[in-house]
Amino acid sequence: MRRGRWWSATGNWSPVSNAATLQAIFAIAGKDLLVEGRTKTAFFSSLVFAILVLTVLYFARDKTSVGDLDLAPGALWVTFTFAGMLGLNRAFVLETENRAMDGVRLTPATPTAIFLGKVLGSLVFVGTVELVSLPVFILFYDVPIWRELPILILVIALATIGFVSVGTLFASMVVRTRFSEVMLPVLMLPFLFPPVVAAVQLTRGILALRPLSEYSGWLSLLAAFVIIFFTFSLFLFEAILEE
Amino acid sequence: MEYPDNGAYMVAAYIVAAVVIAVYAVSLFYRIRKAAKR
Amino acid sequence: MTRRDSALRLARVGGVITSVALVAFAGIYVRALMFTPIERFQGPAQKIFYVHAPVAWAALLAFLVTGILSLLYLIMRDRKLDTIAAASAEVGVAFAVVMLTTGPLWGKPVWGTWWSWDARLTSTLFIFLLFVGYQVLRGALHDPEIRARFSAVMGVMALVLVPFIHVTVYWFRTLHPEPVLMKPERPSLPGVMLVTLLSSVAVCTLMYVGFLLMRYSLAVLRDIREEEIVDGVS
Repeated sequence: MRRGRWWSATGNWSPVSNAATLQAIFAIAGKDLLVEGRTKTAFFSSLVFAILVLTVLYFARDKTSVGDLDLAPGALWVTFTFAGMLGLNRAFVLETENRAMDGVRLTPATPTAIFLGKVLGSLVFVGTVELVSLPVFILFYDVPIWRELPILILVIALATIGFVSVGTLFASMVVRTRFSEVMLPVLMLPFLFPPVVAAVQLTRGILALRPLSEYSGWLSLLAAFVIIFFTFSLFLFEAILEE
Repeated sequence: MEYPDNGAYMVAAYIVAAVVIAVYAVSLFYRIRKAAKR
Repeated sequence: MTRRDSALRLARVGGVITSVALVAFAGIYVRALMFTPIERFQGPAQKIFYVHAPVAWAALLAFLVTGILSLLYLIMRDRKLDTIAAASAEVGVAFAVVMLTTGPLWGKPVWGTWWSWDARLTSTLFIFLLFVGYQVLRGALHDPEIRARFSAVMGVMALVLVPFIHVTVYWFRTLHPEPVLMKPERPSLPGVMLVTLLSSVAVCTLMYVGFLLMRYSLAVLRDIREEEIVDGVS
Protein backbone atom coordinates (compact mmCIF):
# COMPACT_ATOMS: atom_id res chain seq x y z
CA MET A 1 0.00 0.00 0.00
CA ARG A 2 1.27 3.43 -0.78
CA ARG A 3 2.51 5.17 2.28
CA GLY A 4 0.75 8.48 2.23
CA ARG A 5 -1.01 10.90 4.51
CA TRP A 6 -4.50 10.05 5.58
CA TRP A 7 -6.85 12.89 6.12
CA SER A 8 -8.72 12.50 9.36
CA ALA A 9 -12.18 13.91 9.81
CA THR A 10 -10.83 16.95 11.67
CA GLY A 11 -8.95 18.00 8.59
CA ASN A 12 -5.60 17.48 10.20
CA TRP A 13 -3.15 15.75 7.99
CA SER A 14 -2.14 13.03 10.33
CA PRO A 15 0.96 11.08 9.45
CA VAL A 16 -0.87 7.79 9.57
CA SER A 17 -0.61 5.73 6.47
CA ASN A 18 -3.57 4.59 4.48
CA ALA A 19 -2.58 1.05 5.19
CA ALA A 20 -2.64 1.57 8.94
CA THR A 21 -6.08 3.14 8.78
CA LEU A 22 -7.46 0.35 6.66
CA GLN A 23 -5.90 -2.09 9.08
CA ALA A 24 -7.58 -0.31 11.99
CA ILE A 25 -10.94 -0.43 10.26
CA PHE A 26 -10.73 -4.14 9.65
CA ALA A 27 -9.32 -4.75 13.10
CA ILE A 28 -12.22 -3.00 14.79
CA ALA A 29 -14.82 -4.64 12.58
CA GLY A 30 -13.15 -7.99 13.04
CA LYS A 31 -13.00 -7.64 16.81
CA ASP A 32 -16.67 -6.68 16.99
CA LEU A 33 -17.68 -9.63 14.84
CA LEU A 34 -15.45 -11.97 16.80
CA VAL A 35 -17.08 -10.92 20.07
CA GLU A 36 -20.50 -11.32 18.53
CA GLY A 37 -19.51 -14.65 17.06
CA ARG A 38 -18.77 -16.05 20.50
CA THR A 39 -22.26 -15.70 21.87
CA LYS A 40 -24.30 -14.84 18.80
CA THR A 41 -27.06 -13.60 21.11
CA ALA A 42 -27.70 -10.35 19.30
CA PHE A 43 -27.60 -12.09 15.97
CA PHE A 44 -30.12 -14.75 16.83
CA SER A 45 -32.37 -12.20 18.54
CA SER A 46 -32.38 -10.05 15.42
CA LEU A 47 -33.01 -13.02 13.22
CA VAL A 48 -35.87 -14.37 15.27
CA PHE A 49 -37.31 -10.87 15.49
CA ALA A 50 -37.15 -10.50 11.72
CA ILE A 51 -38.92 -13.79 11.12
CA LEU A 52 -41.56 -12.97 13.71
CA VAL A 53 -42.28 -9.60 12.14
CA LEU A 54 -42.56 -11.13 8.70
CA THR A 55 -44.87 -13.82 10.00
CA VAL A 56 -47.14 -11.47 11.90
CA LEU A 57 -47.41 -9.08 8.97
CA TYR A 58 -48.17 -11.97 6.68
CA PHE A 59 -50.99 -13.34 8.77
CA ALA A 60 -52.32 -9.93 9.69
CA ARG A 61 -53.62 -9.13 6.27
CA ASP A 62 -56.68 -10.13 4.34
CA LYS A 63 -55.35 -12.08 1.40
CA THR A 64 -58.38 -11.40 -0.74
CA SER A 65 -58.13 -7.65 -0.59
CA VAL A 66 -54.44 -6.90 -0.10
CA GLY A 67 -52.22 -8.25 -2.82
CA ASP A 68 -48.72 -9.57 -2.29
CA LEU A 69 -47.25 -6.71 -4.22
CA ASP A 70 -48.99 -4.15 -2.05
CA LEU A 71 -47.86 -5.51 1.26
CA ALA A 72 -44.54 -7.14 0.48
CA PRO A 73 -42.27 -4.07 0.10
CA GLY A 74 -43.50 -2.50 3.34
CA ALA A 75 -43.24 -5.79 5.21
CA LEU A 76 -39.71 -6.33 3.98
CA TRP A 77 -38.47 -2.91 5.07
CA VAL A 78 -40.21 -2.84 8.42
CA THR A 79 -38.53 -6.17 9.09
CA PHE A 80 -35.10 -5.02 7.95
CA THR A 81 -35.09 -1.73 9.81
CA PHE A 82 -36.36 -3.00 13.15
CA ALA A 83 -34.18 -6.09 13.12
CA GLY A 84 -31.31 -3.84 12.03
CA MET A 85 -31.83 -1.48 14.94
CA LEU A 86 -31.51 -4.38 17.36
CA GLY A 87 -28.08 -4.99 15.94
CA LEU A 88 -26.91 -1.39 15.98
CA ASN A 89 -26.85 -0.96 19.70
CA ARG A 90 -24.51 -3.89 20.28
CA ALA A 91 -21.71 -2.10 18.43
CA PHE A 92 -21.17 0.21 21.39
CA VAL A 93 -22.69 -1.70 24.25
CA LEU A 94 -19.85 -4.15 24.00
CA GLU A 95 -17.43 -1.28 24.57
CA THR A 96 -18.99 -0.35 27.88
CA GLU A 97 -17.64 -3.42 29.63
CA ASN A 98 -14.31 -2.88 31.36
CA ARG A 99 -14.16 0.57 29.79
CA ALA A 100 -13.19 -1.04 26.53
CA MET A 101 -13.96 2.18 24.69
CA ASP A 102 -10.96 3.81 26.33
CA GLY A 103 -8.88 0.95 25.05
CA VAL A 104 -10.10 1.55 21.53
CA ARG A 105 -9.32 5.24 21.89
CA LEU A 106 -5.78 4.50 23.00
CA THR A 107 -5.00 2.67 19.78
CA PRO A 108 -3.55 4.75 16.97
CA ALA A 109 -6.85 4.37 15.14
CA THR A 110 -8.30 7.71 14.13
CA PRO A 111 -11.95 8.50 14.90
CA THR A 112 -12.62 8.04 11.21
CA ALA A 113 -11.20 4.55 11.33
CA ILE A 114 -13.15 3.71 14.46
CA PHE A 115 -16.37 4.91 12.87
CA LEU A 116 -15.75 3.02 9.65
CA GLY A 117 -14.79 -0.08 11.60
CA LYS A 118 -17.98 0.08 13.64
CA VAL A 119 -20.06 0.69 10.52
CA LEU A 120 -18.40 -2.20 8.73
CA GLY A 121 -19.03 -4.53 11.65
CA SER A 122 -22.66 -3.50 11.84
CA LEU A 123 -23.07 -3.79 8.08
CA VAL A 124 -21.85 -7.38 8.21
CA PHE A 125 -24.19 -8.05 11.10
CA VAL A 126 -27.28 -6.44 9.60
CA GLY A 127 -26.42 -7.72 6.14
CA THR A 128 -26.33 -11.27 7.43
CA VAL A 129 -29.67 -10.89 9.14
CA GLU A 130 -31.10 -9.49 5.91
CA LEU A 131 -29.57 -12.28 3.89
CA VAL A 132 -31.08 -14.95 6.09
CA SER A 133 -34.52 -13.39 6.33
CA LEU A 134 -34.78 -12.85 2.58
CA PRO A 135 -35.60 -16.51 1.85
CA VAL A 136 -38.28 -16.37 4.54
CA PHE A 137 -39.65 -13.33 2.79
CA ILE A 138 -39.71 -15.13 -0.54
CA LEU A 139 -41.52 -17.99 1.13
CA PHE A 140 -44.33 -15.72 2.22
CA TYR A 141 -44.76 -13.47 -0.77
CA ASP A 142 -45.14 -14.43 -4.36
CA VAL A 143 -42.96 -11.76 -5.91
CA PRO A 144 -40.52 -12.00 -8.83
CA ILE A 145 -37.38 -11.57 -6.77
CA TRP A 146 -34.96 -13.61 -8.80
CA ARG A 147 -35.40 -11.68 -12.01
CA GLU A 148 -34.65 -8.41 -10.32
CA LEU A 149 -32.11 -9.60 -7.79
CA PRO A 150 -29.14 -7.37 -8.80
CA ILE A 151 -30.94 -4.07 -8.58
CA LEU A 152 -32.82 -5.21 -5.51
CA ILE A 153 -29.53 -6.03 -3.82
CA LEU A 154 -28.28 -2.56 -4.77
CA VAL A 155 -31.30 -0.92 -3.18
CA ILE A 156 -31.05 -3.06 -0.05
CA ALA A 157 -27.34 -2.32 0.23
CA LEU A 158 -27.81 1.44 -0.20
CA ALA A 159 -30.62 1.76 2.30
CA THR A 160 -28.79 -0.45 4.79
CA ILE A 161 -25.62 1.65 4.53
CA GLY A 162 -27.80 4.71 5.08
CA PHE A 163 -29.45 3.60 8.26
CA VAL A 164 -26.39 1.82 9.63
CA SER A 165 -24.26 4.99 9.31
CA VAL A 166 -26.82 7.16 11.07
CA GLY A 167 -27.52 4.38 13.54
CA THR A 168 -23.85 3.97 14.40
CA LEU A 169 -23.59 7.68 15.21
CA PHE A 170 -26.70 7.62 17.38
CA ALA A 171 -25.73 4.35 19.05
CA SER A 172 -22.45 5.95 20.11
CA MET A 173 -24.48 8.70 21.77
CA VAL A 174 -27.14 6.70 23.52
CA VAL A 175 -24.82 4.07 24.90
CA ARG A 176 -24.03 6.53 27.70
CA THR A 177 -27.67 6.79 28.70
CA ARG A 178 -29.59 4.44 30.92
CA PHE A 179 -32.18 3.19 28.51
CA SER A 180 -30.11 2.93 25.39
CA GLU A 181 -32.18 0.18 23.76
CA VAL A 182 -35.26 2.38 23.87
CA MET A 183 -33.54 5.65 23.14
CA LEU A 184 -31.92 4.50 19.93
CA PRO A 185 -35.22 3.92 18.08
CA VAL A 186 -36.72 7.09 19.57
CA LEU A 187 -33.92 9.24 18.23
CA MET A 188 -33.39 7.35 15.01
CA LEU A 189 -36.89 6.90 13.64
CA PRO A 190 -37.25 10.35 12.07
CA PHE A 191 -33.98 9.66 10.26
CA LEU A 192 -35.29 6.40 8.89
CA PHE A 193 -38.21 8.09 7.17
CA PRO A 194 -36.53 9.20 3.91
CA PRO A 195 -34.43 6.07 3.27
CA VAL A 196 -37.18 3.61 4.21
CA VAL A 197 -39.86 5.37 2.17
CA ALA A 198 -37.48 5.52 -0.78
CA ALA A 199 -36.51 1.86 -0.30
CA VAL A 200 -40.14 0.75 -0.11
CA GLN A 201 -41.06 2.68 -3.25
CA LEU A 202 -38.05 1.28 -5.05
CA THR A 203 -38.77 -2.27 -3.92
CA ARG A 204 -42.35 -1.93 -5.08
CA GLY A 205 -41.31 -0.54 -8.43
CA ILE A 206 -38.73 -3.26 -8.90
CA LEU A 207 -40.99 -6.14 -7.90
CA ALA A 208 -43.80 -4.78 -10.03
CA LEU A 209 -41.35 -4.95 -12.91
CA ARG A 210 -41.82 -1.30 -13.71
CA PRO A 211 -39.28 0.41 -15.99
CA LEU A 212 -36.33 2.06 -14.24
CA SER A 213 -37.34 5.53 -15.40
CA GLU A 214 -40.43 5.33 -13.26
CA TYR A 215 -38.63 5.07 -9.99
CA SER A 216 -35.23 6.58 -10.73
CA GLY A 217 -36.21 9.64 -8.69
CA TRP A 218 -36.39 7.52 -5.56
CA LEU A 219 -33.00 6.05 -6.37
CA SER A 220 -31.50 9.55 -6.53
CA LEU A 221 -33.16 10.46 -3.24
CA LEU A 222 -31.82 7.33 -1.57
CA ALA A 223 -28.35 7.87 -2.99
CA ALA A 224 -28.35 11.53 -1.93
CA PHE A 225 -29.47 10.58 1.56
CA VAL A 226 -26.77 7.94 1.91
CA ILE A 227 -24.01 10.20 0.63
CA ILE A 228 -25.00 13.17 2.78
CA PHE A 229 -25.77 11.32 5.98
CA PHE A 230 -22.82 8.96 5.74
CA THR A 231 -20.57 12.00 5.43
CA PHE A 232 -22.21 13.90 8.27
CA SER A 233 -22.21 10.86 10.54
CA LEU A 234 -18.54 10.30 9.82
CA PHE A 235 -17.61 13.91 10.61
CA LEU A 236 -19.81 14.25 13.66
CA PHE A 237 -18.59 10.97 15.17
CA GLU A 238 -15.34 12.62 16.07
CA ALA A 239 -17.23 15.04 18.31
CA ILE A 240 -18.82 12.11 20.12
CA LEU A 241 -15.54 10.37 20.67
CA GLU A 242 -13.77 13.31 22.29
CA GLU A 243 -12.62 13.04 25.81
CA MET B 1 -75.63 32.71 5.88
CA GLU B 2 -73.56 32.29 2.80
CA TYR B 3 -70.61 30.61 4.50
CA PRO B 4 -70.28 27.18 6.16
CA ASP B 5 -71.23 26.91 9.78
CA ASN B 6 -67.93 25.87 11.36
CA GLY B 7 -67.40 28.55 13.96
CA ALA B 8 -67.06 25.92 16.67
CA TYR B 9 -63.70 24.82 15.26
CA MET B 10 -62.48 28.38 15.24
CA VAL B 11 -63.44 28.90 18.86
CA ALA B 12 -61.83 25.61 19.89
CA ALA B 13 -58.60 26.40 18.08
CA TYR B 14 -58.35 29.92 19.44
CA ILE B 15 -58.97 28.69 22.96
CA VAL B 16 -56.44 25.85 22.73
CA ALA B 17 -53.80 28.20 21.33
CA ALA B 18 -54.40 30.80 24.01
CA VAL B 19 -54.31 28.20 26.79
CA VAL B 20 -51.06 26.58 25.64
CA ILE B 21 -49.32 29.92 25.16
CA ALA B 22 -50.60 31.26 28.46
CA VAL B 23 -49.60 28.13 30.38
CA TYR B 24 -46.12 28.19 28.87
CA ALA B 25 -45.66 31.89 29.59
CA VAL B 26 -46.83 31.50 33.17
CA SER B 27 -44.54 28.49 33.63
CA LEU B 28 -41.61 30.60 32.49
CA PHE B 29 -42.41 33.47 34.84
CA TYR B 30 -42.94 31.07 37.73
CA ARG B 31 -39.78 29.06 37.10
CA ILE B 32 -37.69 32.21 36.85
CA ARG B 33 -39.12 33.46 40.12
CA LYS B 34 -38.15 30.20 41.80
CA ALA B 35 -34.65 30.16 40.36
CA ALA B 36 -34.02 33.80 41.24
CA LYS B 37 -34.72 33.32 44.93
CA ARG B 38 -31.59 33.19 46.98
CA MET C 1 -22.40 43.57 37.61
CA THR C 2 -22.40 39.99 38.79
CA ARG C 3 -23.42 37.14 36.58
CA ARG C 4 -26.57 36.76 38.57
CA ASP C 5 -27.48 40.40 38.10
CA SER C 6 -27.03 40.26 34.36
CA ALA C 7 -29.11 37.08 34.18
CA LEU C 8 -31.84 38.78 36.19
CA ARG C 9 -31.63 41.76 33.89
CA LEU C 10 -32.02 39.54 30.87
CA ALA C 11 -34.97 37.79 32.53
CA ARG C 12 -36.61 41.12 33.13
CA VAL C 13 -36.09 42.23 29.53
CA GLY C 14 -37.45 38.90 28.37
CA GLY C 15 -40.40 39.25 30.69
CA VAL C 16 -41.22 42.67 29.33
CA ILE C 17 -40.96 41.56 25.73
CA THR C 18 -43.10 38.50 26.46
CA SER C 19 -45.75 40.55 28.22
CA VAL C 20 -45.90 43.00 25.36
CA ALA C 21 -46.14 40.13 22.90
CA LEU C 22 -48.92 38.48 24.89
CA VAL C 23 -50.93 41.67 24.97
CA ALA C 24 -50.32 42.14 21.27
CA PHE C 25 -51.38 38.54 20.73
CA ALA C 26 -54.65 39.30 22.45
CA GLY C 27 -54.92 42.26 20.11
CA ILE C 28 -54.46 39.93 17.17
CA TYR C 29 -57.24 37.78 18.54
CA VAL C 30 -59.54 40.77 18.65
CA ARG C 31 -58.57 41.89 15.20
CA ALA C 32 -58.89 38.45 13.65
CA LEU C 33 -62.13 37.57 15.31
CA MET C 34 -63.95 40.86 15.10
CA PHE C 35 -62.36 43.06 12.48
CA THR C 36 -61.32 40.64 9.78
CA PRO C 37 -63.99 39.49 7.35
CA ILE C 38 -65.09 35.88 7.21
CA GLU C 39 -63.83 34.00 4.19
CA ARG C 40 -66.74 32.97 2.05
CA PHE C 41 -65.79 29.42 1.14
CA GLN C 42 -64.00 28.29 4.27
CA GLY C 43 -66.16 30.06 6.76
CA PRO C 44 -65.15 31.24 10.20
CA ALA C 45 -62.77 28.30 10.62
CA GLN C 46 -60.46 29.97 8.14
CA LYS C 47 -59.53 32.42 10.86
CA ILE C 48 -57.60 29.66 12.58
CA PHE C 49 -55.07 30.37 9.87
CA TYR C 50 -54.16 33.66 11.56
CA VAL C 51 -52.97 31.72 14.58
CA HIS C 52 -51.81 28.47 13.03
CA ALA C 53 -49.53 29.82 10.30
CA PRO C 54 -47.60 32.36 12.41
CA VAL C 55 -47.17 29.83 15.22
CA ALA C 56 -45.87 27.29 12.70
CA TRP C 57 -43.44 29.91 11.50
CA ALA C 58 -42.26 30.49 15.08
CA ALA C 59 -41.77 26.75 15.60
CA LEU C 60 -39.74 26.58 12.40
CA LEU C 61 -37.70 29.60 13.50
CA ALA C 62 -37.02 27.92 16.85
CA PHE C 63 -35.92 24.79 15.02
CA LEU C 64 -33.56 26.69 12.74
CA VAL C 65 -32.05 28.53 15.69
CA THR C 66 -31.46 25.28 17.57
CA GLY C 67 -29.95 23.65 14.50
CA ILE C 68 -27.68 26.50 13.53
CA LEU C 69 -26.50 27.14 17.08
CA SER C 70 -25.79 23.44 17.42
CA LEU C 71 -23.49 23.66 14.42
CA LEU C 72 -21.85 26.80 15.81
CA TYR C 73 -21.35 25.11 19.17
CA LEU C 74 -19.47 22.25 17.56
CA ILE C 75 -17.22 24.75 15.83
CA MET C 76 -16.71 27.26 18.63
CA ARG C 77 -17.48 25.24 21.79
CA ASP C 78 -18.94 28.23 23.57
CA ARG C 79 -21.28 26.81 26.21
CA LYS C 80 -23.63 29.78 25.83
CA LEU C 81 -24.50 28.59 22.33
CA ASP C 82 -25.66 25.27 23.71
CA THR C 83 -27.73 26.97 26.41
CA ILE C 84 -29.48 29.13 23.83
CA ALA C 85 -30.03 26.17 21.51
CA ALA C 86 -31.65 24.20 24.31
CA ALA C 87 -33.80 27.17 25.29
CA SER C 88 -34.92 27.54 21.69
CA ALA C 89 -35.81 23.86 21.60
CA GLU C 90 -38.12 24.13 24.58
CA VAL C 91 -39.81 27.23 23.19
CA GLY C 92 -40.10 25.43 19.88
CA VAL C 93 -41.95 22.55 21.52
CA ALA C 94 -44.51 24.96 22.94
CA PHE C 95 -45.12 26.55 19.56
CA ALA C 96 -45.16 23.16 17.88
CA VAL C 97 -47.88 21.93 20.23
CA VAL C 98 -50.05 24.90 19.30
CA MET C 99 -49.28 24.31 15.65
CA LEU C 100 -50.16 20.62 15.77
CA THR C 101 -53.42 21.21 17.63
CA THR C 102 -54.68 24.16 15.61
CA GLY C 103 -53.72 22.51 12.34
CA PRO C 104 -56.17 19.62 12.46
CA LEU C 105 -58.84 21.92 13.89
CA TRP C 106 -58.45 23.98 10.74
CA GLY C 107 -58.10 21.00 8.45
CA LYS C 108 -61.21 19.14 9.50
CA PRO C 109 -63.82 21.77 8.65
CA VAL C 110 -61.98 23.21 5.68
CA TRP C 111 -60.39 20.20 3.99
CA GLY C 112 -62.60 17.45 5.34
CA THR C 113 -59.87 15.59 7.18
CA TRP C 114 -58.08 15.96 10.51
CA TRP C 115 -54.72 15.24 8.97
CA SER C 116 -53.20 14.84 5.54
CA TRP C 117 -49.73 13.51 4.97
CA ASP C 118 -48.64 16.32 2.72
CA ALA C 119 -45.12 17.69 2.66
CA ARG C 120 -45.62 20.67 4.90
CA LEU C 121 -47.71 19.00 7.60
CA THR C 122 -45.49 15.94 7.73
CA SER C 123 -42.36 18.08 7.96
CA THR C 124 -43.80 20.05 10.85
CA LEU C 125 -44.79 16.85 12.61
CA PHE C 126 -41.24 15.60 12.24
CA ILE C 127 -39.86 18.89 13.53
CA PHE C 128 -41.95 18.31 16.65
CA LEU C 129 -40.71 14.71 16.96
CA LEU C 130 -37.11 15.84 16.50
CA PHE C 131 -37.54 18.51 19.18
CA VAL C 132 -38.91 15.87 21.53
CA GLY C 133 -36.03 13.52 20.72
CA TYR C 134 -33.58 16.35 21.39
CA GLN C 135 -35.12 17.02 24.79
CA VAL C 136 -35.19 13.30 25.61
CA LEU C 137 -31.51 13.00 24.76
CA ARG C 138 -30.63 16.02 26.88
CA GLY C 139 -32.65 14.67 29.76
CA ALA C 140 -30.71 11.42 29.67
CA LEU C 141 -27.25 12.98 29.69
CA HIS C 142 -26.06 14.46 32.95
CA ASP C 143 -22.56 15.72 32.34
CA PRO C 144 -23.00 19.27 31.00
CA GLU C 145 -20.17 19.11 28.49
CA ILE C 146 -21.24 15.76 27.07
CA ARG C 147 -24.85 16.87 27.00
CA ALA C 148 -23.93 20.00 25.08
CA ARG C 149 -21.75 18.12 22.61
CA PHE C 150 -24.14 15.26 21.96
CA SER C 151 -27.24 17.39 21.60
CA ALA C 152 -25.33 19.64 19.24
CA VAL C 153 -24.61 16.62 17.06
CA MET C 154 -28.28 15.72 17.13
CA GLY C 155 -29.23 19.32 16.36
CA VAL C 156 -27.07 19.38 13.26
CA MET C 157 -28.36 16.01 12.06
CA ALA C 158 -31.94 17.18 12.58
CA LEU C 159 -31.30 20.35 10.62
CA VAL C 160 -30.00 18.34 7.66
CA LEU C 161 -32.85 15.86 7.88
CA VAL C 162 -35.84 18.16 7.55
CA PRO C 163 -35.28 19.12 3.89
CA PHE C 164 -35.07 15.40 3.11
CA ILE C 165 -38.37 14.75 4.81
CA HIS C 166 -40.00 17.53 2.87
CA VAL C 167 -38.70 16.23 -0.47
CA THR C 168 -39.61 12.64 0.36
CA VAL C 169 -43.22 13.47 1.09
CA TYR C 170 -43.45 15.85 -1.84
CA TRP C 171 -42.27 13.16 -4.25
CA PHE C 172 -44.51 10.61 -2.63
CA ARG C 173 -47.48 12.88 -3.31
CA THR C 174 -46.45 13.84 -6.83
CA LEU C 175 -45.77 10.28 -7.88
CA HIS C 176 -48.83 8.92 -6.13
CA PRO C 177 -51.44 11.58 -6.54
CA GLU C 178 -54.13 10.95 -4.02
CA PRO C 179 -57.71 12.01 -4.71
CA VAL C 180 -57.67 15.75 -4.49
CA LEU C 181 -59.10 16.79 -1.16
CA MET C 182 -61.49 19.63 -0.92
CA LYS C 183 -58.55 22.00 -0.77
CA PRO C 184 -59.20 25.69 -0.89
CA GLU C 185 -57.37 27.70 -3.47
CA ARG C 186 -54.60 29.94 -2.29
CA PRO C 187 -55.91 33.28 -3.46
CA SER C 188 -53.80 36.28 -2.76
CA LEU C 189 -55.20 37.50 0.51
CA PRO C 190 -57.13 40.74 0.30
CA GLY C 191 -55.62 43.64 2.19
CA VAL C 192 -57.40 43.32 5.52
CA MET C 193 -56.65 39.62 5.88
CA LEU C 194 -53.06 40.07 4.80
CA VAL C 195 -52.50 42.73 7.43
CA THR C 196 -53.96 40.47 10.11
CA LEU C 197 -51.73 37.63 9.02
CA LEU C 198 -48.56 39.70 8.87
CA SER C 199 -49.21 41.36 12.20
CA SER C 200 -49.75 37.95 13.71
CA VAL C 201 -46.44 36.74 12.28
CA ALA C 202 -44.70 39.78 13.77
CA VAL C 203 -46.31 39.22 17.15
CA CYS C 204 -45.42 35.52 17.20
CA THR C 205 -41.83 36.33 16.29
CA LEU C 206 -41.70 38.84 19.14
CA MET C 207 -43.20 36.22 21.44
CA TYR C 208 -40.52 33.76 20.38
CA VAL C 209 -37.80 36.27 21.22
CA GLY C 210 -39.36 37.04 24.58
CA PHE C 211 -39.77 33.35 25.46
CA LEU C 212 -36.24 32.62 24.32
CA LEU C 213 -34.73 35.36 26.47
CA MET C 214 -36.72 34.19 29.46
CA ARG C 215 -35.88 30.52 28.98
CA TYR C 216 -32.22 31.33 28.47
CA SER C 217 -32.00 33.46 31.59
CA LEU C 218 -33.81 30.70 33.48
CA ALA C 219 -31.10 28.26 32.43
CA VAL C 220 -28.36 30.68 33.50
CA LEU C 221 -30.04 31.32 36.87
CA ARG C 222 -30.34 27.59 37.44
CA ASP C 223 -26.68 27.10 36.60
CA ILE C 224 -25.74 29.83 39.08
CA ARG C 225 -27.89 28.16 41.71
CA GLU C 226 -26.19 24.81 41.06
CA GLU C 227 -22.80 26.41 41.48
CA GLU C 228 -23.90 28.12 44.68
CA ILE C 229 -25.06 24.81 46.08
CA VAL C 230 -21.84 23.09 45.14
CA ASP C 231 -19.78 25.96 46.56
CA GLY C 232 -21.88 26.00 49.72
CA VAL C 233 -21.25 22.30 50.28
CA SER C 234 -17.50 22.49 49.60
